[in-house]
This record gives sequence, structure tokens and C-alpha cells, in this order.
Amino acid sequence: MLAAYVEYWRINLLTMLEYRANFVMWFVFAVFYHGVALAALTVTMLQFPSMNGWNLREMFFLYALWMTAHELHNALFFNVVAVPEYIREGRFDRFLVRPFDTLFQVLTVPAQIFPDGLILAIVTLCFAVGVAGVRVDAFFVAFVPLVVMGGALIDLGISLVIATIAFWFIRVDTLRWVVMSLEQDFTRYPISIYTRAVGIVLSFVFPFAFMNYFPASYFLNKTDVALNLNPAVGLLTPAIGVAWVAVAYAFWRVGLRHYEGTGS
Amino acid sequence: MPDMTQPIIQTRDLRKVFRTVKRASGGLGALRTLFSREYEDRVAVADVTMSLAAGELVGYIGPNGAGKSTTIKMLTGILVPTSGSLEVAGIVPYEHRKENGRNIGVVFGQRSQLYWDLPLQESFELLRAIYAIPRDRYRQNLKDFVDILQMDDFLRTPVRQLSLGQRMRGDFAAAMLHDPKIVYLDEPTIGLDVVAKEAIRQFIAGINAQRGTTVILTTHDLADVERLCRRIVLIDRGTIIYDGDVERIKSEYGRYRTLVLRFGQAVESPQLDGAELASVEGTTARFRFDRNVARPDLLIRQAGDRYSVEDVTIEEPELESIIRRIYVEGYAGQGAATL
Repeated sequence: MLAAYVEYWRINLLTMLEYRANFVMWFVFAVFYHGVALAALTVTMLQFPSMNGWNLREMFFLYALWMTAHELHNALFFNVVAVPEYIREGRFDRFLVRPFDTLFQVLTVPAQIFPDGLILAIVTLCFAVGVAGVRVDAFFVAFVPLVVMGGALIDLGISLVIATIAFWFIRVDTLRWVVMSLEQDFTRYPISIYTRAVGIVLSFVFPFAFMNYFPASYFLNKTDVALNLNPAVGLLTPAIGVAWVAVAYAFWRVGLRHYEGTGS
Repeated sequence: MPDMTQPIIQTRDLRKVFRTVKRASGGLGALRTLFSREYEDRVAVADVTMSLAAGELVGYIGPNGAGKSTTIKMLTGILVPTSGSLEVAGIVPYEHRKENGRNIGVVFGQRSQLYWDLPLQESFELLRAIYAIPRDRYRQNLKDFVDILQMDDFLRTPVRQLSLGQRMRGDFAAAMLHDPKIVYLDEPTIGLDVVAKEAIRQFIAGINAQRGTTVILTTHDLADVERLCRRIVLIDRGTIIYDGDVERIKSEYGRYRTLVLRFGQAVESPQLDGAELASVEGTTARFRFDRNVARPDLLIRQAGDRYSVEDVTIEEPELESIIRRIYVEGYAGQGAATL
């Protein structure tokens, strides 16, 4: 399995070199995309110096934490998003006739993915840590990568559930769009600015709050005024990521048994 | 050598029903569909029982929508049957997809399993890693396939730039690299020109003869079957209607031969005792005769005595016309199936 994964990355990087223009465009897009989001954040915060006790510098850290987890997900698991397309076009069949886990095969379809967004995110996160004045100690250095990985797994779990629904309802574009906007819009600000119901959804239904809000609260020594939880719950992010992926994977296995293809 | 005593593929009363939600029409139709509990059942495979010995090369034939592809998808483990049992190389495919995957190779003529953006060679490398093929074995197989299929010229070309014939050759190599015991070929020659078709047919015959690979071939091109298969299985409306020798079906259903005569000058309604006039076109007349009743040499002598004959040909019935007749006569009056 490891050999296959190494081979996949070798080929991926090779094709990346072949499609340099594509790579440059993705990189420009990533810079632009996150640039716009951060600019919007800055403009908003010029109006309100503090939002439920969070200032601009702290919200920059909040964003950078989400961005890193999300970009890690994009670098490693982006192909999951293509599953409905594979099913629709009948390309999914080939994963079922090979001696390898179906999900693993989906994740190793060469798709010219280069971790440029991830590199950008890591740089941004380092910068944000400095700006927000996070206390950098051994615990922080050891735990931030785990939080980021947990966040990426939360992202994976959610995209896997959406992909699995495509086994029954071939078209899931709308659902994916709704969940993606939910993620992008609601992770930008501390969830304490929303109503309690939204906070509960973002914590326990689609646990995006664990990608950035709770861990950031912990690292910045904030108190959680959204759900009155101890900010130390932010340390649960890796566990929540693993649990989410485990549940999503079980659902995926059920979906595989119901796979009916597109006929013919 | 493959074990010839045990069947390598065995199915019993195999059945697949696709259940779809009935779509309501009208403005709120989509909404109603979402909550509807009304289903529509479509029986794709009604009842398929068959058994294949290791090393066989079988043609699986049927009109569009007869259930060929659905059967293949159940055999390969892609689809879970609605009922019935099946075993492929001692394994229930959909229960043990990974083990089954090691035993089989699949070529879907309409869909490539190669990676679109990669050069052919990189696709092969990735498959080597996926199937964990030992390096020596991989090199030997690759060398053999590159030779037989003449892939030298385009091994470094991205798949999307290959011609259909080149891509198909790549797909065949990709399906065979891990030495599968069984290969399923679904329309492998569709859309290919004569030369490419012949190359593919030679390759299929070769792997079957030299490696003892069991082959199931579904195709619309009955010339493939005539050239390659000793046994055919005919399916229609999800049920097997014939399973046996190609030769037997030919002699049972193909009793009629056609005698083609070209006369020196046009003859109006020529006649021969023991043969039936099928058509006249200019100076050429075609007679149909039952080879169990009339002897062709006597017919030719008879024609020579009556008319001035310049040329004589006897046409054997093609498998295609025989099979077309089976489908038409078997279901006459119920909207005959077409091949």
C-alpha cells in the first residue's frame, strides 16, 4: 500500500512538471482566493475593532488555522470530491475490480495535485502565529500539526459522506455546494457571533468549529461564549477527525454495496 | 496449468433487478419524487446459470439490453446480485472484491482504465504498484505485450493523445500485466479498424492458448466470435437461450447455403430443381438450398446444362445471420430483437 502511495506521488509530481501552466494558475488562484477572504476580514474588522472579544490579529490566526487544515485536505484528499463525477461517467467501475481498497484508489488517481496551497497555508499560519501573539512552546509546536490533521480529517469525513450519497442520488452538486459555503462562511468568524442553533450545528453536526474555533480559543486563552464549553475541547480535534472519518468510511462501505452504476 | 476438472466460473439462478424511484411529473414532481415510495423494477438479468472450465474462451452474445453487461458486472464484483449464487475462482466476487481483483482482468471497450493525463508507461507503473506485481514478472510481461501489440512508438505518449486503436492496445496490456486467471472483455473491438481488430484478436487468442487464461468475450461483432470462440452463450431478455458449440449452432441453424450464378446473358426467372430462387440482379442469380437435401455439385451441373454459366460461388451462412434468425424466430410476433 505504501509502495503504491509513493508511486502515486512520484507520478503526480511528474505530471505537475508537465502541466506547469496549470500549476501556476492554481497557485495564483490560491493566493487570490485566500487574499480576498483575508481582505474582507480586514475591512470588516476596521468597522468593529473587536468581535465578541476577538480582534483582527486573533481572527487572522483563526482563519489561518482553518486554511491550513483545509489545504491539507485539498492536497491529500481532493479526489473524493470527484466521486460523483466518476459514478456518473461510469469510471467508478474500475476501482471495484482491482485488489485494493476502493477509497484508497480514488485518492490515488493522478490529478495534478501539488501541495502549493498547503505550503502557502503553512507560511500564512506561521505568520499569523506571530501576529496574534500565540505563546509558542513545545506543547504548541507538537499539537498544532495534530489539530491541522484532525481538521483535514473532519473535512475528509464530510466530503466522504457527500460522495457516498451519490451512490443513491447520482447528482449531489447542490448538497456539496451548500455544505462548502457553510464551511467557508461560518469558519471565518468566531461561532459565538451566531445564534446558539448555528453554533450547535457547527460543533456537533458538521464539526467545522473544531477545525479552528475551539483550538484557536484554547491557544489564545479565550473563553467560549458560544456554547459555554471549556476551550480545552479544542484539544479533541484530532480525535473528532478520526471519529468522523471512521463513521464516514462505514457509511461509504454501505454505499458500495448499493452501487448500481449508470447501467449499460 | 489450469485445473480443467473444476469450473472456474459458476453461476446459479443469477438475477439482477434494478429498482428506481418512479418519477412524478409536473411542477412539484421533483419534490414528490424525493418523498415517493413508489418504485419501478427493471429486470436486467432474470435467470442465468452457467459454468465455465478453466482455459475456456467463451463468447457471450446478446442484443442491446439483453443483460450481457449486467452479468459481466456481477461476475467482476462490481454489482451485487439481487438473488442467486456465483463463484469465480472459488470466491464470491462482490464479497471479496480485493481477492477477486487479483484473479481477474477487465477490458471495457467503451471506457479506458488508463489514466488520461499520464503517458501509457506511467499508467502501467501505477498498476504495477497497485497489483504489487514482482518487478521481474512486470518487466517480462511488459516486454511481451509491447512486442505483440507493437506499442513501442506510443509508450511515452499521454493517453489522451492516443488513437482509439492504440488506447485499446494499452488497455489490453493494462488488464493483463498482473497475470489474471480470468479476463472479461466487454466489446473490446468496438469502433476499431480492420487492422487493429485483427491485432486484438490475435492477442486474445494468444493469451488464451499460451497462458491458459480463461476469457469471456461480449461483442456485437460476431466475426470476433467466429474467429476466437468454440463455445457461445446466447442471452436474451436476461435469460440464456443457447449455450454450446459454435459449430453445432451453425449446422443446426445454418443448413441453408446460397449458390450464386453469373450467366453469360440475363436470364428471366431461372430455375433449378432442389433449390429455391432467392433473387435475380442483372446477370446474377442467387439460389438457396438445404445442404442436407441437395448436393451442390449436382446443382452446378444442372445449371450448366440449362444456362450458360460464367461464374459460380457458394456462400456459407455467417454466424451473424444465423444468430439474427435465432433471435427473430425465437420471439416472432413479440417485436423481434435486432442484433
